[in-house]
Amino acid sequence: MSGEMMVRLQGVTKRFAHVWALRGIDLELRRGRCLGIFGANGAGKTTLLNILATLARPSSGQVTIAGYDAVREADKIRPLLGVLGHRTYLYGDLTASENLQFYGRLFGVPNAHQRSQEWLHSVGLDPDSRQRVRTFSRGMQQRLAIARVLLHEPELLLLDEPYTGLDQNAVGRLQRLLDDLQAADRTIILSTHDLARGLAVCDEILIQSRGKVVYYEEAASDLDITGFEQLYAAHVQ
Amino acid sequence: MFNSTGFFQQVIAILAKDLRTEWRTREIFTFMFVFTVLVIVIFNFAIGADPETMRKVAPGILWVALLFATVLGLQRTAQLESEEDCFQGMLLALRDRSVVLIAKVLVNMCYLLVVTLCALPLFSIWFRIDVASHLGPICLVLTLGMAGLSLVGTLFSTISINTRTRGLLLPLLFLPLSVPLTISAVYATTDLLQGKRLADISDYLTLMSVYDIVFLVLSLLVFDSVVEE
Repeated sequence: MSGEMMVRLQGVTKRFAHVWALRGIDLELRRGRCLGIFGANGAGKTTLLNILATLARPSSGQVTIAGYDAVREADKIRPLLGVLGHRTYLYGDLTASENLQFYGRLFGVPNAHQRSQEWLHSVGLDPDSRQRVRTFSRGMQQRLAIARVLLHEPELLLLDEPYTGLDQNAVGRLQRLLDDLQAADRTIILSTHDLARGLAVCDEILIQSRGKVVYYEEAASDLDITGFEQLYAAHVQ
Repeated sequence: MFNSTGFFQQVIAILAKDLRTEWRTREIFTFMFVFTVLVIVIFNFAIGADPETMRKVAPGILWVALLFATVLGLQRTAQLESEEDCFQGMLLALRDRSVVLIAKVLVNMCYLLVVTLCALPLFSIWFRIDVASHLGPICLVLTLGMAGLSLVGTLFSTISINTRTRGLLLPLLFLPLSVPLTISAVYATTDLLQGKRLADISDYLTLMSVYDIVFLVLSLLVFDSVVEE
C-alpha cells in the first residue's frame, strides 16, 4: 500500500549522561520512499538509526513504525526491519552460507538454505565457499552483510553507511538493489557521508547537525551534486 | 517479511550456531579445561598426600575450578558475540529476546558439562576419590550447580557485553552472587563423597534449586532491559 505512513517521529530526544545526541527530531516518511540522512560525524545519525532499529530507547518523544510504537511494541517492529550497522553482525568462524542460514532461521525464512544461496549469488559471493567470513575482505563482508539485511524481505531498511568498503562494482550492484527495493515499495532510510551516491538514490533529504534536523525536504529533481554540496555546507557547521 | 519462528526453534538455532563455532575452534573448551586441570593439579601438590585432608578439600577445589572456568568461558563467549556486534544482530532478529538468554544458558551449561565430564576422571585419580560409586547423586548436584552458574553468568555477561571494562565487570558481579550456590554445592558434594545419601543433603539441594529458579525468573524479567542500550 504505497503512500501509507511508515515512520513517524515526534519530538524525539536522546541523552547520554550529559550529552544530548538528539534534540527534538520530527520526521514523517511514507512507505516506498527513500530518505537520506546526512551530517558530520557526531551529528546523531547513528543514534537516530539505533532508535528506529529498537536498539535504543528515546529519552523523550514518540517513534512509530508501521503504526507500532517503537518502545511498547518493539517486538512487532523488529521483524519488519533490515538493519545494516557500522559493524556487519556476522560471525567470523562461520561460512557466508552458515551466517545467512542462521539469521534466516531466526527470522523464520522458509527454505533458509536455498534463499541463502540465492542471496549470496545476488551479492556476488560464492554460495558454496567453505571459507570462513573472518578471512573475507572488508568489501566481501559488507556484501554479505547486505545479503543478511535483505534475506527476510524487510519492509523498512535502515542502512548506516552502506557503501563502506565496497568497490565500484559492488557499489553499482548495491545501487541497482536499492532501486529494485524501491520499485518493490520498500521504505529505505540510509545515512551516508557520500553526498553524490546518497543524492542519486534518495527521494528525501535530511541534514542533521548537533542532534537537530537543520534541513528536511524532498530531493528536488533539478538538484545536482554541486547544488547539494552547497546546501550541505550551508547547513553543517 | 516472514513470520517469526517458534521460541524453541530460535533457541535451537542459536545453540547450534554456538556449538558449531566451538566445534570448529575449540577455544572455549580449551581455555576452560586447561584451567580446571591446572587448578586440580596445583592444589593437589599444595595439599600434600594425606588422604583425609584430600577428601575434605577436594570438593571445594573442584567447585572453585569450575567457578573460575565458568568466568573464563563466559568472557570468551561474550567476546565472540561482541565482535562485529553480532549480539545486536541477533537481538534484531528476535521478537522475544529471552530466546537469547535461554540459548546462552544452555550453551554455557554444555561447555561446563563437557569440561566437567573430562575433568572428573582426572579429579578422581589425582585426589584418590571414588567418584564413580556416587556418580548419580553427584551428577544431580553438578547439574543444579552448573545451571545456576550458567544462569547468573549469562545474565551478567550480557550486562557486561557492551562495556569497556567487560573483563573486570563480569567477575565482579558474578563471583559474589554465585557464593551461596557454590557453598551449597561444595557441602553437598563433600557429604556425598563421605558416603551420605541424597536424602541427607536435601537442604543443600533445595537451596540450589531455589537459587536456580529465583535467578531464572529474575533473568527472564530483567533481560529485555539489560540488553537495551
